[in-house]
Amino acid sequence: MATGGINLSKEFFELLKAIGESKSKQEEDRIIAKEVQCLKQKLEPTPPGVNPPLQSKKRAKEFLVRLLYVEMLGHDASFGYIKAVEMAASASLYHKRTGYLVCSACLSPEHEFRFMLVNQMQRDLQSANVLEICGGLLASTALITSDMVPAMSGEVTKLITHDSETVRKKAIITLHRFYELAPDVVTFDELYEKVRKVLCDRDPAVMGSVLNVIEEMAKEDPTKFKDLIPSLVSILKQIGEHRLPNDFDYHRVPAPWMQIRLIRILSLLGQGDAASSSGMYEILFDTMKKADVGINAGYAIVYECIKCITKIYPNAKLLDAAADAISRFIESRSHNLKYLGVTGLAMIVETHPQYAAQHQMSVMDCLEDPDETLQRKTLDLLYRMTNPVNVEFITDKLLDFLRGTTDLFLKQQLTTRVCSVAERYAPSNAWYIKTITQLFEVSGDMVKPEVAQNLMSLIAEGTGESDEADMLLRQTAIDLYVQLLQEKPPAKLPKILLETMAWCLGEYAYLSAALSLEDILAKLCHWNKAALQPSTRKFLTSAIFKLVAQAGTCPKQAAEVVDEYTRSKDVDLQQRCLEFQALLTTAPQYLGEILPVDASAEDVEVDVNLSFLDGFCQQALANGARAYEKPEDDDDDEEDYGAAGAASSAFKMTPYAKPETNINRSAMLARGMGTGGQPAGISLPPGSISGNQAVVSTSVDVVGDGLSLNTRGVANVWGKKPGALPAAPPPAAAPAPAAVAPSTFDSSATANVGGFGGPSSNAFGTASYGGAAYGQAPASVLTKTPEQLEKERMAAALFGGIVPGAAPPPAFAPPAPMAPPRQTVAAPPVAAPPVAAPPVTLAPAPAEEVDLLDLGAFDVAAPAPALANDVFGSSTLEPATATAPPIVETVSENEDVLPAPAPVQQATIDPFAAEGLLGDLSETPLQGFGILSSKYEYNGSVMAPMKIVTAQFGQQWGSCTATSPVSVTSRKVTFLNDFMKQCEEAGLHPVEAIGATNEGICAGIVEGGSKVVLVHGKLSPMGSGAAKIDITVKSTDSTLSGSLALYLQNMMK
Amino acid sequence: MAISFLLMVNKQGQTRLSSYYEWISLIERNALESEIIRKCLSRSEFQCSFVEYRGYKVVYRRYASLFFIVGTKLSKDGNDNPENELGLLEFIHNLVETMDKWAGSICELDIMYSLELIHFLLDEMVQNGHIVESNKMNVLRPLDLMERESQKAESIYR
Repeated sequence: MATGGINLSKEFFELLKAIGESKSKQEEDRIIAKEVQCLKQKLEPTPPGVNPPLQSKKRAKEFLVRLLYVEMLGHDASFGYIKAVEMAASASLYHKRTGYLVCSACLSPEHEFRFMLVNQMQRDLQSANVLEICGGLLASTALITSDMVPAMSGEVTKLITHDSETVRKKAIITLHRFYELAPDVVTFDELYEKVRKVLCDRDPAVMGSVLNVIEEMAKEDPTKFKDLIPSLVSILKQIGEHRLPNDFDYHRVPAPWMQIRLIRILSLLGQGDAASSSGMYEILFDTMKKADVGINAGYAIVYECIKCITKIYPNAKLLDAAADAISRFIESRSHNLKYLGVTGLAMIVETHPQYAAQHQMSVMDCLEDPDETLQRKTLDLLYRMTNPVNVEFITDKLLDFLRGTTDLFLKQQLTTRVCSVAERYAPSNAWYIKTITQLFEVSGDMVKPEVAQNLMSLIAEGTGESDEADMLLRQTAIDLYVQLLQEKPPAKLPKILLETMAWCLGEYAYLSAALSLEDILAKLCHWNKAALQPSTRKFLTSAIFKLVAQAGTCPKQAAEVVDEYTRSKDVDLQQRCLEFQALLTTAPQYLGEILPVDASAEDVEVDVNLSFLDGFCQQALANGARAYEKPEDDDDDEEDYGAAGAASSAFKMTPYAKPETNINRSAMLARGMGTGGQPAGISLPPGSISGNQAVVSTSVDVVGDGLSLNTRGVANVWGKKPGALPAAPPPAAAPAPAAVAPSTFDSSATANVGGFGGPSSNAFGTASYGGAAYGQAPASVLTKTPEQLEKERMAAALFGGIVPGAAPPPAFAPPAPMAPPRQTVAAPPVAAPPVAAPPVTLAPAPAEEVDLLDLGAFDVAAPAPALANDVFGSSTLEPATATAPPIVETVSENEDVLPAPAPVQQATIDPFAAEGLLGDLSETPLQGFGILSSKYEYNGSVMAPMKIVTAQFGQQWGSCTATSPVSVTSRKVTFLNDFMKQCEEAGLHPVEAIGATNEGICAGIVEGGSKVVLVHGKLSPMGSGAAKIDITVKSTDSTLSGSLALYLQNMMK
Repeated sequence: MAISFLLMVNKQGQTRLSSYYEWISLIERNALESEIIRKCLSRSEFQCSFVEYRGYKVVYRRYASLFFIVGTKLSKDGNDNPENELGLLEFIHNLVETMDKWAGSICELDIMYSLELIHFLLDEMVQNGHIVESNKMNVLRPLDLMERESQKAESIYR
C-alpha cells in the first residue's frame, strides 16, 4: 500500500472519514452536497497574491479524486470535469491516469470534452514511455466514440506489434473496441488478420487477451475461424498440461479464464457442424476430467464444458459425461453448484430429455427452494421440459411464480413463456382460456394484445369440432368471467382482461348459469362507473349495448350509463352512445339486427352495389316512379330543382290536390305532369325566395374528404305561418328550425346522418352532432336573422357545449329516422341537409352511406378481428333498407284547397319540451308495443284524436320537427280504409284518406294536448293480398314520434 | 461484452467503487446500485451467489462488510447464458487476491483512501468489459512501475 492513505490533505481525509462513518444515504447525501460546495469554491478565481488552491499538482489530483467520489455517490460533478481534462495532459503519469480515469467515469458519450482529449490520447500513444502508451490505450478504449475512431485507429494498429507485451495485450482490445464502434473504419477483415497474428504471440497474456476478441468475432462469423480449431485445441491442451508459467495458475488450476474462453470459442465453432465438433470431443473430455479437482475454478471449467457439449454436434460419450457432471452439481449442497446443475440440465434436456428423468426429485426440491435465483433457473428448466403431458403443472408453476415476482424483466419473460407454452401444448381449449385469463389477471398489460385477440377469436369461432363443444367452451369462458365480475372490482383488473371480459360478456352473457342477463348487465353498468381507460370504457359500453339488445329491455342503470356518455369527451364513445340512444328510442326493433347475438365470427358483407334495394326499386318503378338519372351537375341547386320541377315526378313539392276519389294513380301522375310547370316558385334559386321566413341557402363544402354537404333552402309546403302563405305556397322557404342546421358538418357528422340511412329531420339532433358534439362553431351562414340566432342559441343550450354557462341538460337522443334512399329522387351524391323541413330533403347517396359508416361510425383503432360486427357496424345497413321510403313524392297534392289554417294551439308547443324523456322511456319494455286494438299510450297518457282538417295538418306538418318513418309489409292492412281504421283504433283522428294515391293522414294528441302527432301513411299493394305501408310519424317530440311509429308498425303487421 | 459493471458496495448500501463498461447515466447508476445491493443483502449465505436483475446477471461475493458485485448482460430472450457465472465469481476472488497481494490485507477503508489506485488495478484486469489479465504478476507490474515513477516525479511536481 504505497501512495494511498498518506499524503492526503486534511480536508479530504475528513471527507472520507465522514463518508465512512455516515450511517444512512441521507447523511451521505448531505456530506456530498457540502463537498460539492467546497469543490466549487476551489475553482473560483482567487484574488491576486493568494495561491490558487489547485496550483499544486498534488492538490489538483486530489480534487479529481474528490470529484470521482461525488459522482460515485450519485451527485453531479460536471462543474469540475474541465480539471480532469486538463489533468490528462499532465506530465506526471499518475496525474495523467487520474485525469483519464475521471474522464472515463464521468463523461457521457455525447460530452464534447471527449473531443478535447483526442489530441492528448494520440500523443500518449506515440510516447516512448510504455506506461503512457498503456494509459492512452485504456483511455481510448473508454473515451473514443465512433467519429473519433479514424483519428486513432492508425496509432493503435501500430501498437499491436509493439515491443512491450502489456502494450500489445491492450492494443488488440482497443482495436476491437474501435471495430465495435466503427466497423467501416476498422473493418472485420483488418481486425481478423491482426487477431490471427496476435493469437500466435509469444506472450501467453497477449494470447489470452486476444481470445476475448476471437470469441466476439466468432459470434458474428464462425466460419472464418473454423480453421483455427486445431490451434485452439492445441492451446487448450497445453494449458491443461501446465505449460504456462505458474503465474497463470489460479488455485493450481492453470489459467481458468483462458480455458473457459477457449472452450466457449470451440462451442461457437462446433455448433451444428459435425466435422468441426469431432475435432474437439477429445480435448473437451480431457479438459473436463482434469478440471474436476474439487474447487470452484475447476467447476467453472467443467460447467463451460457442459455448455459446450450441449451446443456442439452431439456425442454420446460426452453427453453422458456432461450428464454425470450435472448430476453431481444438482446433488451438491452448494447452492452455486446446484444452480450450475439446474442450468446445465436445462441446456441438455432441450435436445436430450431423457437426462431429466433421474433428477425429478432434485428438480422439485430446487423449485421449492427459498432461493429465488434457483427457483428461476428451475422454472427455466421446466419451461424447456414442457410437453403436452406436463404442461398444466408447469404452467401453474410459472403462473405461481409470476404472481410472486416484482421484477419487470422476469415478469415479461415469464409472461411470454406462459403464452408460448399455453399456445403450444394446451390440452384443451377450456384450459387455454382459463390459463390465459389467469395470465391476464397476473401480468395484465404485459401480455401482448394479440393474445387477447386470439382468445376472443377462439371463443367466438370455436374449434370447429362441433357446435356443442363450442357452446360449452363459451360457457366455460363466461362462467369464468362472471365469477371474476362478481369477485373483483374493475380497478383490480388489468385493461386487457377487462376488455376481453367485456367483449365476451357482451356476446355470450346469456350463457351464464350463475347470473341472469339482467344481473350481468347491471353489474357491467356498475363497473362502468369506475375510472377506466377510454378503450376499456368503450368495450364496456358496447357490451352494455349488446346486452340491452339481447335482454330486450333497457334497465335504468344502462340508460343512465348510455346517457352519461352521450356527453363524454371521447367523441367516438359519445357518438356510439348517441347512436344507441337514438336506436333505442326510435327503432328498438332493429336492435337485435344491429347488435346480433353470436354473430361476431360471421363475415359482414358490404354490398356496395346496394343490390338489396333492387326489389324495392323494381316495385317503385312498377308503381310508376321515374328511374334515377344522374344529374348533369350535382352542385347546381337550381338546375336540380328545375329539372325536378319540370319532370314533376321527382320532387313533389306542390301541395296536396283536392281530395279526389276513384282516380287511379296514373291519372294522378298525369295530373301532376299537367301541373308540373305550376309551382314556379320552387324552381327559383333559393336566394331569391322572399318572405318573412328565414332564408337558408347554405352550401357547405367539406373540403377534407371531398364531400359536399348542401343545406338548401327548402320550400316549406305546409308552412307554419299561414299568413305568409299564398294559396300556392312554394315561396315559403325553409322553416325556422332550419336555422340551427347551417353549421359546418365534418365528415363524422355526415357519417352519422348517413349511418342512420337517411336525412335527419331533426334539426336539433343534427346540430348536436355538427355543432355541440364536435365543438364546431356554426359557420358559413349566409343570412342570419335574429330569429335564427336565437334558435341556434337555444339548440346550443339544449345540447350543451356551445353557449358558455348553459348547463348541459340531460342529453336526449336525436331521433334517427330510418329513411332509406329514395328511388325516385335524382339524388346527387350529397349528404342530407339536416334541415327540419318537410321531407323534401335529399337522401344521401347510398354508396356513400356505406363508406361513411365504415369509416366514420366505427372506431378505426378498435382492435378487433372478432369485433368487426360490433355495435354500429355495417349491419346498420339492413335496418336502413328494411325501412320504408319516405313519402316525398306523395306528400302534397291538394294545393288548390289549402285553406287558411285555424289557429291550433298545439302548433305552438315548445319543441324543446322533450328533454329528459329518455329516462322515462327507458323502463319501457322494448317488445311492449305490440298490443293490438288498444289505444296508443305515451307516458301513461292515452292518445286522443286531434280533429283537424287537411290544411291544418299541412300547417302543423312543418312545425313538427321529429320525424320517424317506418315501413311494414302487411297482409292485414291492404287497403287504405284498413289503414285509416287501424289509425283510429290507435287513437288518431283520420284527417283524410286520399284514395287516388293510396295515402292517408291522421292526427292525434297526447298528454292532454301538450304534444301533437301527425301520421302519414302510404300503401303500395304488393300483390298476393299483401301491401307495403310506409308510415311517417311527425311530432314535436322525437321520442313520441319514434314510439308511435313502432306502435303503428307492430299494429299493422 | 462480458462484464457490464463492477461494484464494491458495503452492507449499508454505500458505494465504495464503481466501474462501468457500458455507459449508464448517473441517475440510472444510482438506482441500479441501490436496488442491486438491496437484493444482495436480502439473500442469505446459503443461497447462491447469482441474481438476475433487470436483464442483468449479477454475480456477487461478500468479503467482510464489502460486497463485490459483477453485472453482466443477459441475452435478450433470456435463454442463453453468455457468461460463466462461476467463472465470474472466481474472478472476483482473483481480484481480491490481487488487491491483497498488492497492498497486504486490504479493507474497505483502504479502498476508500486509494480509490484511484484500485481503479488502475482494475483497469489492468478488465478492459472493455473483458477479463484481459488474471496473472497477478502481470497486473501488478505496471502499477509498481507507475508508483515508482510518480514518487520520482512527485519531488519535481509538488
